[in-house]
Amino acid sequence: MAKPNLKSLSPMAFTQMTPTREEQIHAASSEKLPELLSYKANALALALHPEKQHLIVTNIIEHNKDTKSYVLSPNKEKGTDSLAWFNAGQYLSLSLTIGQHVLTRPYSLSSNPADVHKGNYMITVKRVTGGLASEYILDQWKIGTLVTASAPLGSFTYEPLRDAKTIIGIAGGSGITPFRSLAYAIANGLEDANLILLYGSRTLEDALFTEELQKLATDCPNFRLVNVLSDESKEGYEKGFITAELIKKYAPEGPYSIFLCGPQAMYEFADEQIKTLNIKPKYVRHELFGEYFNPSKEADYSAPETETVTITVRQQGKEQSFKANINTSILRSLEEQGIACPSHCRSGECGWCHSKLVEGEIYTPKALDGRREADSVFGYIHPCCSFPLSDIIIEVSPTIA
Amino acid sequence: MENNYDVIVVGAGNGGLTAAATTAKAGLRTLLLEKHNIPGGCASSFRRGRFEFEPSLHELCSVGSKENPYEIYNLFEELGAKVDWHYEHNLFRVIAKGKNGYDVTLKGSVDGLCNCLDEIEPGSGPKVKAFLNLKSKVDSAINYIYAKKGHPNKLVMILKHADFMRVASHSAEEVMTALEIPQKIQNILNTYWCYLGIPTDELSGMHFLNLLYGYVKFGAAMPHYRSHELSLSIADVITKNGGEIRYNSKVTEFLYNEEGRCIGVIANGQKLYAKEIISNIIPHNVYNMSSEHVVSERSLKLANARGMGMSFVTMYIGLDCTPQELGISDYTIFIQDDPTPRRQYETMNDGGFYIVNCLNNVVKDSSPEGSCTLFVTIPMHADNLPADLQPCDYKKYKNNIAEKFITDMEKTLGISVSEHIEEISIATPATFARYLDTPGGTAYGYSLNRWDNLMSRISAEKDDFQIQGLTFCGGHHTRGDGFSSAYNTGSAAGKKIVNKLKGGM
Repeated sequence: MAKPNLKSLSPMAFTQMTPTREEQIHAASSEKLPELLSYKANALALALHPEKQHLIVTNIIEHNKDTKSYVLSPNKEKGTDSLAWFNAGQYLSLSLTIGQHVLTRPYSLSSNPADVHKGNYMITVKRVTGGLASEYILDQWKIGTLVTASAPLGSFTYEPLRDAKTIIGIAGGSGITPFRSLAYAIANGLEDANLILLYGSRTLEDALFTEELQKLATDCPNFRLVNVLSDESKEGYEKGFITAELIKKYAPEGPYSIFLCGPQAMYEFADEQIKTLNIKPKYVRHELFGEYFNPSKEADYSAPETETVTITVRQQGKEQSFKANINTSILRSLEEQGIACPSHCRSGECGWCHSKLVEGEIYTPKALDGRREADSVFGYIHPCCSFPLSDIIIEVSPTIA
Repeated sequence: MENNYDVIVVGAGNGGLTAAATTAKAGLRTLLLEKHNIPGGCASSFRRGRFEFEPSLHELCSVGSKENPYEIYNLFEELGAKVDWHYEHNLFRVIAKGKNGYDVTLKGSVDGLCNCLDEIEPGSGPKVKAFLNLKSKVDSAINYIYAKKGHPNKLVMILKHADFMRVASHSAEEVMTALEIPQKIQNILNTYWCYLGIPTDELSGMHFLNLLYGYVKFGAAMPHYRSHELSLSIADVITKNGGEIRYNSKVTEFLYNEEGRCIGVIANGQKLYAKEIISNIIPHNVYNMSSEHVVSERSLKLANARGMGMSFVTMYIGLDCTPQELGISDYTIFIQDDPTPRRQYETMNDGGFYIVNCLNNVVKDSSPEGSCTLFVTIPMHADNLPADLQPCDYKKYKNNIAEKFITDMEKTLGISVSEHIEEISIATPATFARYLDTPGGTAYGYSLNRWDNLMSRISAEKDDFQIQGLTFCGGHHTRGDGFSSAYNTGSAAGKKIVNKLKGGM
């Protein structure tokens, strides 16, 4: 029997390939090609993730002398026709110019996501004494102030395929903001979850949104608010800190997720408490750690001999050098020089500040090292949580014009 | 002058990276522009919690190893790009559902594969071997055509290279049927169609042969640290050789002189000029960013005639258990409602065909100890999204799809995924559109359909792209889909420019 072979196929078909292709091309239209945004995928991508959003302050709500909420609406004159959608728990990264400093700050969206349809976002700003951005915003922003923001960012969101259906929210101080948004999302049916919110503050007066959240809890069976007061005993409110005991008291029978948002000290305390609860790590989720300040407290940090180093920065073909302090993150040092750098989360996580360390040594605290593995191999760093240990040369991407 | 370069490469995808590395290494003043803040396009990675996910690479074809080097290994070596390669020695496991379904795992290497197939259908092994043996005939014909600078002697072709002519001009299934490879064996092998985006009853036999041969003979390769390692390793070559890379630098316009020669671009608001421009950007976008009179009628007609290639819904799942605890020992599992590629292609938008990868089975420590990742890929046509889908419903839309496939995967593989999900991220054609800016979020470019196949693209390259000073490379170019194809076209584009500007390379 003959071996199978290709004889049944005509080799001459080969000579027909080019003419066939030419015929197809010849028969096609010579019209202009469709614009990218005529494709659904591209239009949706742009609606969800605009490069930046031009906003305008349309309302200010004063909670107390040190905390205000700002309602932000699209600035159509500057080309933002509508707001990008967000999921409860996401944040905006604001681009600010304060004096000679050019910087960004992430603020959780505190508003009901459904308000996007009305053209409203809300962020809530609490004064941090000596805090460059919070003091500037609280003192300078007025109705009509123009604001440049990123698209909504971050993954501190409820994910039904991952999280337990009941969330125990642990909020400290202004860490209430993403939970306010989540509570409304649940009440509006945007998220199908239950939220039991343990909200720590010094006194009831220090707690934000108390009245409206209490009302929301009365109207919405899937949301419960528990104010936990550290410095005040008050009938009907929990007294003390948010301990494992307190979590157990309010936890449901079945599995539950814990979402935490608050100051760094709160995470330290709460994480210790949560350890004793023996719940799977997948059920514990933290909001961004926040900006990191003090590398010298880390056990694996060894300070260089001099407090001052030279940072040489290359950006878009230009180079400049300046003196910087070893206890200031590289990102902050750049911003202090008025050098605009890409950054969003400022907590080591989002990777937007991804930069090449051309020369020199840096320190990144392990807990904040959100780099991709190959980054360390090839010398890339996240300047937002990196501290110089020597003179360095760094290549920084431009911000998007 | 500051803004004058020898070469500007637009887009740091796989093609753009190898193109820029090639020109920089040859000493040309090279600028690589990228819209995103990291290189690679799809060849990248992203972090969620303690996981770092591979966004797109299933398995690199035609790599080879130090002992047995092939195209891609050589390409990286020549550039001096360092990659820690890991290899998968099985081809894949394929599960076809239904009453005539099967669940088979194919071994790699020619003998391994053919023995496997012989067990499934006695006598099929030698026939598949005959198919694989056609590769040397194809190579010798291609070498001859190159030696003749694309103008081979017709008589020599018909006398010496008739089988090549047959394989290049017929579909993979036509070739396999002529070799009497049984239908079931064809269906099993042809599962690979999805890597090239067009079913094997239409896909060029030569193109499919190249792919199959590359995997069977050289295994599938993966970098240790996801594709981000591949991209950074090439980026490193560019900068170490004096090239410049600018991120966050989206090109918004291509600039031409009065004769219609491409002389520069506008990126991030800045005008930049070069003797030669290499575009890793798909022609559709380049033409839309160029003044109308420079694009020839033929180029426009070609672009209009072509079909868009595939896009995907992909799920990235980080699990709080090991692959053993999960019950998955394979790297690649194809799951199909129907065993024939054509049906799979026709029903893919409805999810009749998907791929499950567990990277830990090739790169053990690709996630933290005690954990593993699953990468689920559902191929589909570009722009496959409901026309009325609103941003506010997008999360639910994604979760509904994910839930459907997780349930199906649990049932089909007899595993329990849901309870172990520690991180999950879901991409759709909109995600690919966001990061790649391609029409409809196609991952590679143009569909490799019957008339627009590998060989006819290569033959027509000069006619297809006529703008002086502008060279294309990437997954949308001659070799079509795949990381390896993009690397190869980038390298070829780079070499062409080096030749042009420096001569004699």
